[in-house]
Amino acid sequence: MFATIMKMLLRRLLVAIPTLLVVAALLFVVLRLLPVDPAAMSLPPNATNDEVAAMREAMGLNRPLPVQFLIWLGQLLSGDFGMSIAFRRPVWDLVSEALPATIELAFLSMIVATVVGVAGGLLAFYFRDRTAEAAIDFSSIVVLSLPEFLWALMLMLIFGVWLQWLPFMLRLDPQFERPVITGFLLLDTLLAGRPDAFMSALRHMILPVMALGISASPAIMRVLRSSLLDTYQEDYIHQARLRGLDERRVLLRHGLKNAFLPTLSLMGVQFGFLFGGTLLVEVIFSYPGLGNLMIDAIRNVDLPVIQIVGLAYCIMVLVISTVVDMLYLVLNPKLRVR
Amino acid sequence: MPSLPLWLSNTRSLIGFTLLIFIVGAALLAPVLAPHDPNEQDLINMLLPPFWVEGSDAAFPLGTDSLGRDILSRLLYGARVAMTVAIFATLGATLLGAFLAHLAGYFGGWVDWLIGRIIDVWLSFPPVVLSLILMVGLGAGLWNVILAIVLVDWTRFCRVLRSEVMVVRRRDYVSAARLLGFSHVRTITREILPATLPLLITLMALEMGIAVVVEAILSFAGMSVGNEVPAWGQMIADARQDVYNAPSTLILPSFAVFVTVFAFNILGDGLRRSLDTRLTQTERA
Repeated sequence: MFATIMKMLLRRLLVAIPTLLVVAALLFVVLRLLPVDPAAMSLPPNATNDEVAAMREAMGLNRPLPVQFLIWLGQLLSGDFGMSIAFRRPVWDLVSEALPATIELAFLSMIVATVVGVAGGLLAFYFRDRTAEAAIDFSSIVVLSLPEFLWALMLMLIFGVWLQWLPFMLRLDPQFERPVITGFLLLDTLLAGRPDAFMSALRHMILPVMALGISASPAIMRVLRSSLLDTYQEDYIHQARLRGLDERRVLLRHGLKNAFLPTLSLMGVQFGFLFGGTLLVEVIFSYPGLGNLMIDAIRNVDLPVIQIVGLAYCIMVLVISTVVDMLYLVLNPKLRVR
Repeated sequence: MPSLPLWLSNTRSLIGFTLLIFIVGAALLAPVLAPHDPNEQDLINMLLPPFWVEGSDAAFPLGTDSLGRDILSRLLYGARVAMTVAIFATLGATLLGAFLAHLAGYFGGWVDWLIGRIIDVWLSFPPVVLSLILMVGLGAGLWNVILAIVLVDWTRFCRVLRSEVMVVRRRDYVSAARLLGFSHVRTITREILPATLPLLITLMALEMGIAVVVEAILSFAGMSVGNEVPAWGQMIADARQDVYNAPSTLILPSFAVFVTVFAFNILGDGLRRSLDTRLTQTERA
């Protein structure tokens, strides 16, 4: 099985390289459509025309577009991600501070989406052909019709503003100092031996995680239910029933176990969408991740940051789909003997 | 009772369709129905509550926002943006996606390979991120929003339809058409398209809902039609600062987005059931 996984990873890597090259080219071309001069923007406003011209020369802006792209690519490969125009800091620093926050948010949301989606799928299947199924089905359409950023706003309004149960700004209560060890706040607070700070960070994540998790769950629920319907056509289900197992046991031990794999294979794409959804949810909760960085960069037409953050999103989506595929291989019993 | 056409014979389709008639009607009649100019600021009547709350003003039935603009009028005009985007972005994405899907599914081989790789690249971009970046490049404006959504969402059609075309292509009547000397174009338009049309129509209903959401997201981020055109997402963004004292300014436009998307979703769900296509549920992401 180890060999199978390695083979899959290698194949994924071989596909990922040209994909990312095309993505980088796409980002580069789209952002060059802008009627702004990156040279003038990276200089102080009182720069002379000669200085701007010299900067254009230095940045390679006088060369043809493909050459400019290759220069940029060469810089990326040599680890030079450029300077942010608005923040006057290396783009790499900004991204490496924001990325762990977004990963934490996305990861917890995926867990919630899976739990809610699987529970919903099991319930909808368990009550199939009854009124309860229609109710669950109908509510899944309702949930789907509220996009994640509106879920975020509504949860914020109800649990943050009205009931005042949960915080809805930033990541920590102001009395806590932020420990920086790995960059992942939840992990860092634990490593620093501050369970109180950990609880504060966790409480700050509940609303954004719920917003993302709930809005991603109906898709998982629906796939699981239809996959369970397929599974129940199989002989082993009848066999399990004939052996006298009660319905719940048949469902959990035999149904879910077999129906989960096809569901998992579709969750890769789903989680890719979820990762994109973090963008606005972060903005709404002032959560300092990639999404807020992206929106700040867009407001300031901060091209170097927009490009790298865009690329970071794509890399994360590729990583997520690879991890999900890996999980599929690990959990697939057909590959266990090899 | 006169029988309804097949595609409306389902309760779900009927609910969705009825809701949409109201929303489209509100959008078309906005200049007649709106009590005020949607951009007219009334700095004396700022943040008035809606009619069910004490202290409301009958001249502003749904209250006013932080600049004293009439919420009802802005909602009605916002429906115009939402509906225009829903219709034209969906038409564009359908044409582009369906064209490439039929090309890929029918011819197979390197055409299919190439289109498949393009879809892979697109799928590695979260749709929100790609549409935001496109808007940065294109600049604000209604037609640019539509173009951005078309360029992002054609893959949704292409992925699903392509496999459907591949199934249909293997049917005997398609081979028969080729043997009779039908050209490729005629085979695709006369023999394959009618078979993929039900799926296409269902996808279009769902895509309209997605387009409304994307427009709301873009205008929420300030990257859509521009400040002078009232849009629901922008109303939501403006209302964020007033969540404590005027939550209705946030809830009303959110509700408008929700009802519209719900109408498209339930219509799409009904169509899927009555037209019985093999759409997998996951495509509704």
